[in-house]
Amino acid sequence: MERMSFFQFFMNRIDQVIRLTGQHLQITGTAVLLAIVIGVPIGILISKHRKLANPVLGIANVFQTLPSLALFGLIIPILGIGLVPSIFVLFLYALLPIIKNTYTGINNVDPAVIEAGVGMGMTYSQILRMVQIPLALSVIMAGIRIATVINIGTATIAALIGAGGLGELIFRGISMDNAHMILSGAIPAALLALLVDWLLGMVEHFITPKGLRGK
Amino acid sequence: MIEFKKVSKSYDGKTNVIEGLDLKINSGELVILIGESGSGKTTTMKMINRLHEPTSGIISIDGKNIMDINPIELRRNIGYVIQKVGLFPHMTIKENIELIPYLQNWDKEKRAARARELLELVDLDPDIYINKYPHELSGGQQQRIGVARALAVNPDVILMDEPFSALDPITREQLQEELLKLQDELQKTIVFVTHDMDEALKLGDRIAVMKDGRVIQFDTPENILKNPINDFVEYFVGKDRLWKSPEMLYARDIMVKKPATISLQRTPAKALEIMKEKRTDYLVVVDQAGDRPKKVVGFVTPRELRNKTEAEHKMKDIMNTGFIPVSETTNMVEVLNIMKEKRRKNLPVVGEDGYLKGLITQTSILNLFADAITDLDDDEGGDDK
Repeated sequence: MERMSFFQFFMNRIDQVIRLTGQHLQITGTAVLLAIVIGVPIGILISKHRKLANPVLGIANVFQTLPSLALFGLIIPILGIGLVPSIFVLFLYALLPIIKNTYTGINNVDPAVIEAGVGMGMTYSQILRMVQIPLALSVIMAGIRIATVINIGTATIAALIGAGGLGELIFRGISMDNAHMILSGAIPAALLALLVDWLLGMVEHFITPKGLRGK
Repeated sequence: MIEFKKVSKSYDGKTNVIEGLDLKINSGELVILIGESGSGKTTTMKMINRLHEPTSGIISIDGKNIMDINPIELRRNIGYVIQKVGLFPHMTIKENIELIPYLQNWDKEKRAARARELLELVDLDPDIYINKYPHELSGGQQQRIGVARALAVNPDVILMDEPFSALDPITREQLQEELLKLQDELQKTIVFVTHDMDEALKLGDRIAVMKDGRVIQFDTPENILKNPINDFVEYFVGKDRLWKSPEMLYARDIMVKKPATISLQRTPAKALEIMKEKRTDYLVVVDQAGDRPKKVVGFVTPRELRNKTEAEHKMKDIMNTGFIPVSETTNMVEVLNIMKEKRRKNLPVVGEDGYLKGLITQTSILNLFADAITDLDDDEGGDDK
């Protein structure tokens, strides 16, 4: 039998690749969205109550430090396998960069600006809404970008516990010793990471307030 | 009027950074709080808009205890200008100035009109600057915006925390001048914190010199300079300070208080005798003898007496009436100018009531210099007395 080129192999399976890419994005996206919804408020909270900052960042750091495979292994006895535990693990991974960047972004707002705001008679929530968050937005966005890119990588491993995604092709390719199949998963996953990184980089640039871009 | 009554402030519950402070700041007055770091000047100022709250005592504005006013409400009615300006970098100049009006629900047209008006007030062309961002402006321009922003809702009271000390000397000078100009126009009650005595003397209607959480002396710039209440104030003001601001020295500070005089009916012989006795060559001719207040009518010097030594010559006949009187409040610079331009060595000082108060002579000016120089020598010589 004639050996198929990688390109032919890939085109034959293009539907599957597209489906798995969609799944991949879905898992990653859901996890990152959850991490934003939970992480940004936590970041804001610990920037107001600084005593909480170290413990909270410490805990988030633990999840970040654990090897992803180990974390998946730990979570199976509790949540089983499938989509939910996968998203949960990815969510834990995404938390640290988002909390940390929100905290740093808000803390790094020039204290003089805050003092002026308070002295002029702005309330805490007005300062948060009109000054701190707009000024911290690009830093928060950078955190979201890091979290998303890390998650696209980690999500390939989630295929091991049945979450689907491009990792499925990679792992199946490994077990079948089929290099074409491995690459059909690995190349789209790599491109996806690069593309999302670039896109979110653009977003980061455009949400940077105009008054800060010139600097 | 802002009034502090027995106000104390402690951050840790043990030591008081402000200790039983009493202070009355009148409406329309620019009061300087000055002191070294840790003197409590900034804390005192920040208690007025409740950025810090007093531990005990009462602070009132126009008779109303500020602790009874909602702090947000209170602060919106008090302008606040800080050293680091603190403009919102993500907002345009317009948005920065309009922020409090916006939060107070002013309508759009009114806000925009106010922003333009304020930019003109601080001498920045609205057409050029209104849509710029803070980082596009120089430090001095940014602080002008800081001042404009503080004036946005036209508050009666403005607090300024070392607003010009981060600026270069030329810009600082400009902004100080403009603040004085603004104040002439607007008559706000301004509390201005600084550690710069030159600035304090230049701007203040009154200056409160603070140390260890207390006001050591609260007085006009002149009195702080001329009559420092104790060694600390004197040291803080600097002994040579008076010489850096000669416009604060007045004729009454320079003059000899009991100059040699002679009355109209006296003879040249008497004049010579007085000159000899008082070791002077200049006699003020006055309308009457004795201890009562006298009016100046002329002067005599040996030149007027020449060849007129006979007894029938009275002072009223031979005196020179071309004297130049100065008032007690003529300042040193003006005095020196008159002496130079009119080539006079002596100037009689006449009070508002028209009576002779004293005489400025070259010697009296020299003596003043001599005193100052001795003082400076003492300072440099250390404490070896």
